[in-house]
Amino acid sequence: MTLSGSLLTRIAVLVVVVVFFQIGVVSEVPVFGVAIDLSPLLVAFVGLLCGSTIGAVTGFAVGLLVDLALVQTLGLTSLVFTLVGFWCGRLRELRDPQATLTPLLVGAVASAAATVGYSLVEFLLGVDAPVSLELLRQIVLGVLVNTIVALPMWLVVRRSLEPGLPDDPRRRRRRAYTTGGLSPLSRA
Amino acid sequence: MYDKTVRRRRAVLALLVVLSLILLTAYFGESSDGRLHSVQRGFLTVVSPIQEGANKVLKPVRDLFSWFGDTLHAKSQLAEVRKQNDKLLKEVIADRADEHGYHELLALYHLDQLNLNSYRPVTATAVGKSPNLWYSTIWIDKGTSSGVRKNDPVINEEGLVGKVALAAPDGAVVDLITDSEVGVSARINGTNATGMVQPKVGEPNDLVLQYLPGGTVVNRGEDIVTSGTVEPPDYSLFPPGIPIGQVSSEGEESGFKSVNVHPLADLHNLNVVQVLTYTQGSKAAQLVSLQASLPGFAQSNAGSGEGSPLTSASTSAGG
Repeated sequence: MTLSGSLLTRIAVLVVVVVFFQIGVVSEVPVFGVAIDLSPLLVAFVGLLCGSTIGAVTGFAVGLLVDLALVQTLGLTSLVFTLVGFWCGRLRELRDPQATLTPLLVGAVASAAATVGYSLVEFLLGVDAPVSLELLRQIVLGVLVNTIVALPMWLVVRRSLEPGLPDDPRRRRRRAYTTGGLSPLSRA
Repeated sequence: MYDKTVRRRRAVLALLVVLSLILLTAYFGESSDGRLHSVQRGFLTVVSPIQEGANKVLKPVRDLFSWFGDTLHAKSQLAEVRKQNDKLLKEVIADRADEHGYHELLALYHLDQLNLNSYRPVTATAVGKSPNLWYSTIWIDKGTSSGVRKNDPVINEEGLVGKVALAAPDGAVVDLITDSEVGVSARINGTNATGMVQPKVGEPNDLVLQYLPGGTVVNRGEDIVTSGTVEPPDYSLFPPGIPIGQVSSEGEESGFKSVNVHPLADLHNLNVVQVLTYTQGSKAAQLVSLQASLPGFAQSNAGSGEGSPLTSASTSAGG
């Protein structure tokens, strides 16, 4: 997919707004004792809508912004989110899933992959925190609450980016198929 | 054409992964004064005012979400709280009967009794929070322009909250006491048994008091406070006597004893905090003591009758 100026602007604005909304509001409101993390959902849905290359670049940018803003180890979140964005983009390119619940599943898997990937890199970097039941519980709860907000987040991301996306021939074909090839107006 | 697209896609992925790994390695290898850390500080400087503004604008939204959460939480705890209320009522009546004991307790717990004003506290508002399990940090809206420096202790009305990890002119990042980077020398209140409070491994919301002398008798509910140190030159960053938490259970004992501690401060709902900018271990205090040790300082000070630049700088830094 080619990256138009309009799409680039929309993605950039969305990334900045979501990351600051995450830090300033969402992180401060725990649900079931854990904070919702919108950033992996944003990366996954941009990948799902725009493809692997844009997904990976967005993942890198979101990760970098998060690491800078939260004074974390630079490059850590970028690495994890780049892979998440790329994977979601490849899913679109190879399978193009259209089921209503696809964003829910993609959001859950992306959140789980981000959390587990993040934990793995932290372990590799030597953070002293062996796996415990409490930690696993927090990871599972985190993935669960992210899954709950995946659908609304999908709607926000799709609505924000869709005007900037090029018209997809496959989407046109699908629309043509469901309406019998012609719109009701042209049949009349 | 297809091959070109595939090659480009793979190249972009490889480039981004390699870039991330280079950043990771460089950041991990450099000191806290390195270039990447400076970039982070610069970013914080630019973003702090925006974040502060956004925080004010978005406060109603946050309050709305919090209201829903708090209402649900309150309903689920109603029965339990009523029972506790009855129990507390009896306890309050018992406490009133022993007013002397009550005042003693008040003196132990009330932070004003610790003479914290002498540490030049700077009141700040928490404007952001880390969302993940691995970094327990918050953003506050006061920075170096208010006298806040790296490593300054941060408290709230309940007890110790953490220490400043990074300070920009108009904002700072605070590592909470549950962050793996933070360790606080502490003692069991009323005894001389001291140890080190650190986050409990694998349980991000709890603490453990380690390296207590073997055989120390500890009871559930006992208070843990900062021990502080008074021997120069190794002054503790944290003033003595600040409440940290209460003993929740006994831990392992092999040579040293350890106990599990539940923090007193509600680290999930921090709003207003205070940064102690002039503790004995702080940079400002060190500058003053260094100045006092300079030859001829006493005479020149007495002769001029005014504060020297160092003193005034340190004093103004205190906010």
